[in-house]
Amino acid sequence: MIFNSEISGQQQHTTSPVVTGGSVIALVYNGGVIVGTDTLCSYGSMAAFKNVQKIAQISKNTIYASSGEFSDFQQVVKELAKIDRSALQYDDGVHPSPKDYGNFLARLSYKKRCKINPLYLQNVVAGFHNGERYLALVDIYGTYLESNFITTGFASYFCKAIISNYWNENCTLDQAKQVIRECFKVLFCRDCRAHDVIQLAYVDEQGTHIEEQERVDTKWDFNGFKFRANEKLHTQ
Amino acid sequence: MLKHLYDTDCVTWSPQGKLFQVEYAMEAVKQGSICLGLKSNENVVLCSLKRQPSELAGYQEKQFKIDDHMAIAIAGLTADARVLCKYMRTECLEYKYTYESHHPVGRLVFKVAEKSQHKTQSGAKRPYGVGLLVAGIDPNGVHLFETCPSGNYYEYKCQAIGSRSQAARTYFESWFHLFEKSTLEQLILHGLSAIKKAIMEDEELNEKNVEVGILGKNLKFTHLNAQELKDYIAKLETFSPNSQIQQE
Repeated sequence: MIFNSEISGQQQHTTSPVVTGGSVIALVYNGGVIVGTDTLCSYGSMAAFKNVQKIAQISKNTIYASSGEFSDFQQVVKELAKIDRSALQYDDGVHPSPKDYGNFLARLSYKKRCKINPLYLQNVVAGFHNGERYLALVDIYGTYLESNFITTGFASYFCKAIISNYWNENCTLDQAKQVIRECFKVLFCRDCRAHDVIQLAYVDEQGTHIEEQERVDTKWDFNGFKFRANEKLHTQ
Repeated sequence: MLKHLYDTDCVTWSPQGKLFQVEYAMEAVKQGSICLGLKSNENVVLCSLKRQPSELAGYQEKQFKIDDHMAIAIAGLTADARVLCKYMRTECLEYKYTYESHHPVGRLVFKVAEKSQHKTQSGAKRPYGVGLLVAGIDPNGVHLFETCPSGNYYEYKCQAIGSRSQAARTYFESWFHLFEKSTLEQLILHGLSAIKKAIMEDEELNEKNVEVGILGKNLKFTHLNAQELKDYIAKLETFSPNSQIQQE
């Protein structure tokens, strides 16, 4: 099979993603930053790859997660790891701070956007450096925004109310975890491409901690489902 | 006499294992007027003696700001220094554009050294004829580096390069143990005292022929202006390192 691009030698541009990851929710809490994702990679509307770890540790005090095209996520992880390794090359013990990674990613995304060939991702970079919490969103265009809480994808529509009501920037780690779990519960109910197995990771003074995958509690045994109460009306 | 057999270009070793072209380039640094640098826990100070080609001319500047957190003082061929200065400024700008933070000092000095070494390993090139004193502050601390035409670089607590710099180094050897805890003012006075040791008998320090640049953890690189220089040079009369010892 000969593709058009091979004949004309044209560069292909990413116009739509193929294998995609779902929402990312990230919050700062008292003493660190926590990031949560689900563990699903969808192939269109098919829930193709489950148990996927979508949070990557970039350095001792930086983690990275994104929603969107998963192959781009894997590529970005490689690019960021390259920077971390440069410290080894120069042999000077200078490691990039989380902010350095965030800005680098913003510049990379912007460059690719300018060539109309973007990294099809909403990126979240989180870290803890010199006693300060760091959390930033880099979107598909290279927009860079530092914030205390970040949501990507459908979480931006469904979860901001929950976060507003139950979270503040000085809550405890457990409180933050509960808020994220609640958000993913809602997402599983409302977002077709969401999954009920999630993964949390947090960065604090001691470093990075990526937790085991966990299943969110969901309730499906409503009477309406069990006894199909509405059907009575139709059969009468 | 044997020297002249092996000194035509950089790609010829001498039997003693020397590259004469590189050694000659280091001589050019020694011909430049003196510049020195010294650092404490919080600050770095660069002092240099400016030369005036003739009475009609101005004084040749010897200190250049590379970025808010970094500056260099040069000794040797000013034209070569400008090339390196431009390179360093460009690298700092690019780093800031990509990472939004300051270029680590040691890393930039390494890059300059790599660039310098390149010139010592080619038949068609000559080494840079300038030595730099690089003063900078980064998360790793306060730094003072010296670079050479050979491509070597060293980190120092204090260093002087250029003509008659040995006199300044002798001053440093006696007093450098005080520098770590010195205040900015004491550091400047030490620098000026060291430069005073290196001037000729008929010359004197004044605000026209001396250049002082200061850098600190919360202080972007600045030059002392003419009035401040006058004040410090006046304070030299009553300054003695011994009094600093008594304070501690």
